[in-house]
Amino acid sequence: MAMLADRRRMNAPPGGTSPPVFASLPEAKLTKPIRTRNPDEHRKIFLRTGVVPSASGSAYYEISPSNTPRQTLVPSSSSLKITCTVHGPRPLPRNAAFSSNLLLTTHVKFAPFATRQRRGYVRDSSERDLGVHLETALRGVVIGDRWPKSGCEVVITVLEGEEDGWWADAEEGGKAGSWGMMNVLAGCITVASAAIADAGVDCVDLVSGGVAALTAERNGEGVLDPCPSEHDIKAACVVGYLQSRDEVTEMWMKGDAGSGSEALIDNAVKAAVLTRTVLAEAVKEATEMKIGKTSEAAVETTNTGKGKTKDIQMTG
Amino acid sequence: MAITILAPAPAEAPRRTYHETDLDTYGEDEDEMEIDDLPSGHRRSTQVITPGQIVTDDPQWMRGHGTFAASDDASSAIRSTLAGTLQKTNKLLSVVPLRARYTPEIGDLVIGRIVEVQSRRWKVDVAAPLLANLLLSSINLPGGALRRRTSVDELNIRSFFGEGELLVAEVQSLFQDGSASLHTRSLKYGKLRNGHFMAVSGMGGGAGVVRSKRQIFTLQTARGGEVDVILGVNGYIWIAKHVEEKREEVGLNRLEETASQSMYSSQNDEISSETRREIARLAGCIRVLAEGSVKVEEDNLRRAYEASLELDEIEGEVRYLGGERGRNIVDMVLGG
Amino acid sequence: MAPYTNIPLSPAELSYLHTSLAQDPPIRPDGRSPTQFRPLVAETDILPSANGSARICFADGTEAVVGVKAEVERTGRKGGLVRGKEDGEVEGEERGEDGWLDVSIEIPGTRDDDALPVFLAAMLTEALLADGELKGRLVIGRVWHWRLFVDILLLSQPLSYPLPLLSLTTHLALLSTRLPALISQKDEDPLFNDDWEASTHLFPRQPTTNEPETKPPITLLVMTVGTNILFDPSSDEIAVADAIVAISATEDSKDGGLKMVALRTVDPPSRLTSAGVPTQANTTAGGGLSAEETLKLREKDAGATVWRPPRGGVSRTVLGRMIKKVVEKGGVGEEVLEGLRGVKS
Repeated sequence: MAMLADRRRMNAPPGGTSPPVFASLPEAKLTKPIRTRNPDEHRKIFLRTGVVPSASGSAYYEISPSNTPRQTLVPSSSSLKITCTVHGPRPLPRNAAFSSNLLLTTHVKFAPFATRQRRGYVRDSSERDLGVHLETALRGVVIGDRWPKSGCEVVITVLEGEEDGWWADAEEGGKAGSWGMMNVLAGCITVASAAIADAGVDCVDLVSGGVAALTAERNGEGVLDPCPSEHDIKAACVVGYLQSRDEVTEMWMKGDAGSGSEALIDNAVKAAVLTRTVLAEAVKEATEMKIGKTSEAAVETTNTGKGKTKDIQMTG
Repeated sequence: MAITILAPAPAEAPRRTYHETDLDTYGEDEDEMEIDDLPSGHRRSTQVITPGQIVTDDPQWMRGHGTFAASDDASSAIRSTLAGTLQKTNKLLSVVPLRARYTPEIGDLVIGRIVEVQSRRWKVDVAAPLLANLLLSSINLPGGALRRRTSVDELNIRSFFGEGELLVAEVQSLFQDGSASLHTRSLKYGKLRNGHFMAVSGMGGGAGVVRSKRQIFTLQTARGGEVDVILGVNGYIWIAKHVEEKREEVGLNRLEETASQSMYSSQNDEISSETRREIARLAGCIRVLAEGSVKVEEDNLRRAYEASLELDEIEGEVRYLGGERGRNIVDMVLGG
Repeated sequence: MAPYTNIPLSPAELSYLHTSLAQDPPIRPDGRSPTQFRPLVAETDILPSANGSARICFADGTEAVVGVKAEVERTGRKGGLVRGKEDGEVEGEERGEDGWLDVSIEIPGTRDDDALPVFLAAMLTEALLADGELKGRLVIGRVWHWRLFVDILLLSQPLSYPLPLLSLTTHLALLSTRLPALISQKDEDPLFNDDWEASTHLFPRQPTTNEPETKPPITLLVMTVGTNILFDPSSDEIAVADAIVAISATEDSKDGGLKMVALRTVDPPSRLTSAGVPTQANTTAGGGLSAEETLKLREKDAGATVWRPPRGGVSRTVLGRMIKKVVEKGGVGEEVLEGLRGVKS
C-alpha cells in the first residue's frame, strides 16, 4: 500500500527485484526435499532465556536447519531464528488514560534479510497481523489486574523466517499460501512466553505455540511442525495452548480442511505440548541459574559481614 | 429463520402524535407568520420554522432560546436560529428544536457514566455537549452525611466511583460555560447496579425521554417481581431489579439520612432469570417506543409493557421485540 | 494496542450481563435467541461504475459498502527455477496467484496500518483464497490476468466488531461481480466485448437455474459465555465474552453442507475491563483496605460475586462445538447463506 512507503531511506524500486536464481550443474538433479522425520515428530528446538541483559526479560528460539547435504547455494529447507525482548512492567506515560490492567503491546518485525524476498524496514501488514495474533495469545495468559497503570512491551525480531515453499517452485503459479507465517507465529508464541516468564510478569500458565498441517501427499493424515518446503500443504493450524488448563488462547487456521478440521486442531495441540516441554525446561534452567547466583551472592555478603545476618545477637 | 434480510425501503413518514385541531391557519407568507393567531398560553405550534426566518415584528415579545435579533432589521424583529417549533410562555418566545442534544437544566434527574477521575472530582458523561462535574464534596460518604472529607478519601477516590461506573444524580448548578455540576446527596441517588443500561438518543419533538412528574418508578412485572425503571432526562435509562434498602434504625435526633455501608459496592444481588427476562422485555419496549417516535415516559411505558404481554398471549411469545411485533406494540400504545 | 473498542461499562453491568448470558438458556439483553441475527437491509449492484457492489445496513445503524473492480495486469515471473520442460507443452490448467486479490478495508477513525483493518483484511483475504478456485478464475491467458480489487468501506463508526457485516457485504458484492467477455484468442493482447450484457459472472451461474455454482465464503462471529454459544453478538455482549472466534465457511461442493476455510480467535475486550470491588472491601468510614488486601480479597472471590476480567483461553471442546454449529447441516451458516440468496439488486 502506498501509505506504508518508507520515506526515510532510499528504497529499491517496489516489486522490481527478485532474489537471485543460480544456474545448477546440468547433471545435478534438483529434487524437492522430503520429510525424514515421523509425522508426529518436531524438529529440534533451541530455547534460552536471559540473552539480553538490559531488558526485563528476553529469550532466543532456534530451529536448526536440516542436515541433508546441500546441492545448491540456496538451502533447500529453511529454519527459524527468533529473538524476543520484554520491557516492563513499567509505568505508562503521564498523559495516558487510567488503565486498571497491564497494557500489553506487541511488536513483530522481520529483519530485512530474514527471507529470500527482502523485506523493508517499515512493518508491513503481515507483520502487524502477526503482532495481533501474538497479542491475542499472550493476553489470555497474563494476569493483567495485578499491574494497574503499567505497560509491558514485547518486541520480537525474526532473524530467519520460514519460507513459504520450496524456492525452486516459485515460478509455478504462486504456491505460497504464506504457510511459513504460521510456523513463525508458533515460534513467536513460545519465545514470547519464555521471555515474559523471564521478566517476572504474573501468568496463569506457560503458553506454547504449536503448528500442524494437512498435506496433499499424505491424504488426510496430519503432520506436526510442517516445513513448508517439504510438503504441499492444503490446510494448517497454529494454536497457543495452555496445557495445565487444557485451553486455547489463540488459534489460526487456514486452508481447505474440510472434515479434518477437528483432527487438525488436535494435532496442533499435540505439537504445542511437545514445544511446552522444551519451554518448561528452558525456563526452569534459567531460574535455577538465577537462584544459584543469588544464593552465592548472599553467602558472600554474610561472609564480609555486611548486609543482614541470620541470627540476631542480643547484646547487653 | 435465524436471519431476516430486508430489502431497502424509504423511511416511514413520521407519525402524527398530536391532534389535528392544532393546525391553525397560518399566513402563507414565506417570511412572516401571524403570531397573534397562535392560541395563547403555553402551547407549542406545529408549524416548523427554519433558521433565519422572521418569527414576528411585534415589540411586545421577549426573545428566549433559539432566537436572535438581526442587526439590519427593524429593532423588534425576532428571527429564529434553529429548525424547530415555536413555543410561547406568556410573553416569552422561544424556538424548540426538533431534535437536539440534551442541554442540562438545574433540577434535572440524569444518569451519567464516569469518564475521568481527577484529584477531587469526577468528569461524568451525561450526553450533553460538555462533560458534567461531580465533586467529592457532593456525594454521600458512608458513615454519615456530616462526615468530613479527608485526604484519605481523595486517595481512595476510585473506591467510590471508578471509570465507567454508572450513577444517577441531579443537576445542582450550571457553570458559566454550560456544563453541569451534579450531586448525589440523597438516598435515591448514587451508584447503580443490579440492572441493565440503555441509551435513547434525541430530545425534543416527539421522541426520546421527556421531563415528566416521575422519572423513577417501579413496575410490577408479570413473573419477575418488581423492577425499577429510571428514565434519565438526558436519554440514559436504567432498568434494575427492585431491592429494598435496609434502613438502619434512625434515632430521634438523627434527622439526616444515613448512608448504608454498601452504597458504593459493585456487587450485584441475586437476580432470578425471570426478572432478567422481564428486564429484557422492558428494554425492548423502550427501544420500540423510541424507534416509533413515541415519548418515553411512565404512562407510555406501562402501556407498552401491557401491550407486549397481551400480544404474547394472543400471538404467541416473541422474545425479540423488533420489526412486526414492535410496530404492533406502538400501535396499541397510541391507540389505547 | 488496545482492542478495537473502549467499552466503558461498570463492573456491576458487566457482572449482570455475564450472568444473564451464562444462564441456560441465555437471556440476551434484547431478547434474541442464541442463533438469531438482528434484521438487516441488503442490496447489490448499487454502483454502476464498479464490476460488483453491495451495501448492507444493520439494525444498529452500522452500514458498509463494498465495491469490486478488476484490472488487467501482466503476469510477471516470480523468480525460481524453470524445471523439467522436457515435457514440451505447458501444462493445461494455469493456477492463479494469491497476490492477484487485493482487499482493502477502510474504517472511519482508524489508519490504514492500525491493527483492526489489517486483521480484518487478512482474515477476509485468506478466506477468499482458501480453496484456490477464485484465483484460478482470474487467469486470462499465460501472459495476462485479472487483478481484483475489493474495497470495503465501513460508513459508520464501528459500534460492534465489524467483521460479520463486512464479510456478508463482500459476499454479496463478489456474487454480483461480472467480468467482461473475452474476444481475443489464446495469447494475444486481451480484447473484450464492450457489451456489458455479454459479461460473465465471476462466480459463474448454472445455466438452468441461474443460481451460482460456487459461492464466496462468509465469516461469522461466534462468542461463548460459559457453555453457551451466541451468534451475532452486539457490542454489550462482546464486552463480557469469554472467547470470540471468527469462522469462515463456504459451501462444500462434495458433501453439500458447509466446510470451514479459516478460523481466527479474536481478543475479547473483556480482558481490558476493570474488576469490581466486593462489598467487604469497600472503603467505609475512614481507612479501608489497602490495595494489597483488596487484591487478595478479589483473588479469593475469583469472580463469584463481583466481575473480574476472564483469564485463560477457550476450552477445546467448546471450540469444537462452535465450529460444528456453524458448518453442520441446517446450522447457522446454512441459514445465513439461505437468507442471502434472496437479496435482489
